[in-house]
Amino acid sequence: MSLFKELTKGIIRENPTFVLMLGMCPTLAVTNNAVNGCSMGLATLFVLAGSNMVISLVRNVVPKKVRIPCYVVVIAAFVTVVDLLMQAYAPSAIYEALGIFIPLIVVNCIVLGRAEAFACKNGILASIADGIGMGIGFTLSLTVIGGIREFLSTGSLFQIKLIEGWTHSFMLMGQAPGGFILLGILLALINWNNSRKAKKEGRSWTPPGLDCRQCNLCDLGKK
Amino acid sequence: MSNDDVKLSRLVLSLGLISCFATGLMVWVFVITEAPISAAQQRKNTAALSQVLPAFDNQPTKEAVTLGGVTFYAARKGGQITGFAGETITTKGYAGEVNVLAGLKPDGTITTVLVTKQSETPGLGTVVAERVREKTLSGILAGKKETGLPPNPILDQFNGMKAEAGQTPWAVKKDGGSLDAITGATITSRAVGGAVFTIAEAFAQNKEQLLKENK
Repeated sequence: MSLFKELTKGIIRENPTFVLMLGMCPTLAVTNNAVNGCSMGLATLFVLAGSNMVISLVRNVVPKKVRIPCYVVVIAAFVTVVDLLMQAYAPSAIYEALGIFIPLIVVNCIVLGRAEAFACKNGILASIADGIGMGIGFTLSLTVIGGIREFLSTGSLFQIKLIEGWTHSFMLMGQAPGGFILLGILLALINWNNSRKAKKEGRSWTPPGLDCRQCNLCDLGKK
Repeated sequence: MSNDDVKLSRLVLSLGLISCFATGLMVWVFVITEAPISAAQQRKNTAALSQVLPAFDNQPTKEAVTLGGVTFYAARKGGQITGFAGETITTKGYAGEVNVLAGLKPDGTITTVLVTKQSETPGLGTVVAERVREKTLSGILAGKKETGLPPNPILDQFNGMKAEAGQTPWAVKKDGGSLDAITGATITSRAVGGAVFTIAEAFAQNKEQLLKENK
């Protein structure tokens, strides 16, 4: 597969949030507005690209038995780097809003999932492209969810009020339950669209689920 | 990928080496970001101080006094004391420490309350602590610029309040007091209320010393 394809597959075809269903915790937790969603996505993008690069570099040196601890050490190092850089250079409001969720990127399954499913089997350039692509896909989906939730809960987008004088806040959308509800609606829309397309083309189609076919972590589903 | 029966020494060595490199990377980034982080913190502190203090021409950070767990900064204009800012850290927040900064008139009346540092739950506890300027689309198109401190109903309710030495602490409505709290963030509201009371009471107790010491 060409490098460009590795880069773009994460955006729609293998979008980490809507198709692979990875990283649901930050997806629901920090997307109460578009700015938070976008900055969380960018932080994850940096960690993904960095950890994919290093893991692909050391993939032939690290024995299989200790690969998971090694990956976690590498990922944790990159997350610490992002955390320090954000403390130093990001606007303090963003750093405070993301709070605990930046250190939690360490256990984000997108990062470990891409390390296991992709970086440990592919070359360095392909791995970096995969990390950046997945990061862009994650950033876009978080920004979209954050934007919709922010608009529904406060009538604003990127902290700019679109409807002047709007004071009735739809609090549910700003809280965690709103995140679940919106994610469910978006997934239903995506599945409906895919099944409609498949019917038109005469293919059979089953929605993505949390089963072996969707998760590339091990080889069980490929038999 | 290597086979399954690798020697223990190789397992230890590879994990050890990777940990060493990771530590090296973190140390390097820590060293280069140490100064910018403290500069950012410093900038935030002075910005916060000038938001709660009246106009001053001295350097309040240079004459800080710590009394009863509260750090007081005096603001002067032409040598005359115009107000104080008290800062305290409470550990009663929902997630870690909450730093509260309050501006006081020389008679002890609270003028402004700010939360300068917190790690509360995003979307719940942060509602209590944040002052966010609301921008509107038409405002931006018209090039309108607002100045001054953005309002926050929870923090603004302390304005004009005053504590006497030895008074019973203020409490949120849920605890039988009169302070408003944000639903879902009672712990944060309680912590902020407690911290503001600590500042006001520490000022009342040390009022004479503060006014004298700063002459």
